[in-house]
Amino acid sequence: MVGHLDADCFYVSAERVRHPDLRNKPVGVLGNNGACVIAKSYEMRAAGVKTGTPIWDAVKLCPTGVYVKRDFYWYEVLSRKMLEAVSRHFSPVEYYSIDEFFFRANAPRAGQRLHDAALAVRDHILEACGLPVTIGVARTRTLAKLFSDTAKPFGAVTVTDRDHERELLARLPVTEISGVGGRRAARLAPYGIRTCLDYAQAEGRLIRQLLTKTGYELWLELNGHPVTPIRPERTPHQVLARGGSLMGNVEDPTVLWAWCVRHTERLIEELHFHNVRTDALGVSLAWKDGESTAGVCKLPVPSDRFDELLDGARTALRRAYLPRKVATHMHVVAPELRRARGFQLSLFDPPNAKLDAVARVKTAVNERYGRFKLRSASTLYLPAVYADPANNFDICDVRGKVCF
Amino acid sequence: MCSAIALATSELPLSLLEQHGLEDRVHDRGGEKEVRFYWQARPALLPVWWDGRLQVVKWGNRDRAERTLPPTGWTWRETVEDGKWSAMSPEPVLVPATFGYANGVWYKVKQGLQGVLVRDRTGQPVVFLVTEPATRYYRVMTRAEWMPALVGEVI
Repeated sequence: MVGHLDADCFYVSAERVRHPDLRNKPVGVLGNNGACVIAKSYEMRAAGVKTGTPIWDAVKLCPTGVYVKRDFYWYEVLSRKMLEAVSRHFSPVEYYSIDEFFFRANAPRAGQRLHDAALAVRDHILEACGLPVTIGVARTRTLAKLFSDTAKPFGAVTVTDRDHERELLARLPVTEISGVGGRRAARLAPYGIRTCLDYAQAEGRLIRQLLTKTGYELWLELNGHPVTPIRPERTPHQVLARGGSLMGNVEDPTVLWAWCVRHTERLIEELHFHNVRTDALGVSLAWKDGESTAGVCKLPVPSDRFDELLDGARTALRRAYLPRKVATHMHVVAPELRRARGFQLSLFDPPNAKLDAVARVKTAVNERYGRFKLRSASTLYLPAVYADPANNFDICDVRGKVCF
Repeated sequence: MCSAIALATSELPLSLLEQHGLEDRVHDRGGEKEVRFYWQARPALLPVWWDGRLQVVKWGNRDRAERTLPPTGWTWRETVEDGKWSAMSPEPVLVPATFGYANGVWYKVKQGLQGVLVRDRTGQPVVFLVTEPATRYYRVMTRAEWMPALVGEVI
């Protein structure tokens, strides 16, 4: 059996751990720019506020709602604590996302019912971390995830009986399945497949024809055949990227370059952490008119060094850049990763000991005095990011999750 | 700007509520009672930690009763630091708050806001909230160009 644990409105619950006066009140956690609600309490949801609602709409829907600035560092602390608590009861545990885990669900003690074990871990997390969670246990991870949603908030459901399974599946629309969105649901609708039970009872061949291998694997999981195992370790990254919103409209190429340098510095942190180098560097840009462009630069040798990646970034940005257009989002991507040992050196460019030493000094200074304390002067064009004390906790770089 | 604060009634002694007639300013949020101190209320009041105890004092000089005080309820941090209040023997005070309010948005306050307390001609205390230019985050969140100086946090 597989268990799925999902924290109830996690960011809000995490804020309530350190601010108990937020309990029972409508609470919205705001995103990186302070413009959109990224998590809301059940009380705020009842007022009609959804994830992604801009704050100026949210205050109209819920005038007494209280808004809180996000603090991803704090959320990660609680997430790791929750992971530790689950690991004391079940093994192995998969760190799927910051607020969701999968685990192999076996009754840990002789004579203990599985449902009681699920309740015990739920109650332990509330006691140890102060967080309400919901647990679903079923034959596969897709079923467990579906069923845990039906028991929210602060519930636990263990489905071992097939009739119970069918009864729950019949109540859920196909769009509840993680991986079946509106477009896929529209493809299923002409065949009368509207609920999860319809999906499970459909011909496997038809599902494969309509939704390819991914849809077929979901069909197998819905019918109780596990496809994806519990992964206690994250599989190595194929690609690493850093980027996001440009905090407004950017037309000035100098500011675009500053953002590109910032994301390259963030990307280098990740390359070092994962002990990988990249063969190429890509820059993708989203423009205000809806268009998006990308540029890639192949590097002579796999690298994680600032000067080399900066040269690549410059070329890639030039290829992605459209003059006199307004950009809104940028990502810098390392698309071809190599383990840091065993790559081919260039025939003519020997390792540069001096630049390696400069990179080490930069890392050491930032480790000692704070992230980005020593950084490229090109980023001086981003005072809103670096000179604004409100941006100290702006990055959600939680490592080790299986899901994004 | 911060045009109101809310403080849980559990933080405010009952005697203060009765002494200042604050019963009409008590509201319920999620089953918990709180006192809301609006700049628009008459009289405008704020709770302050002063002289080692929690007190409720007049907020600013909106009624222009004092010619020597600015006709507002806020002052720039820079003005205080430049010593422009020094003739009035200002005292720094903590304005305790559970929530702050600006342009329709209630936001969480961890400890409270910084205030400057002076005395009027009759010796009665008057408090002004210390403000500073809004961070980008606060500006986007509340659409306000300036923000209160918060104690122990930056929004």
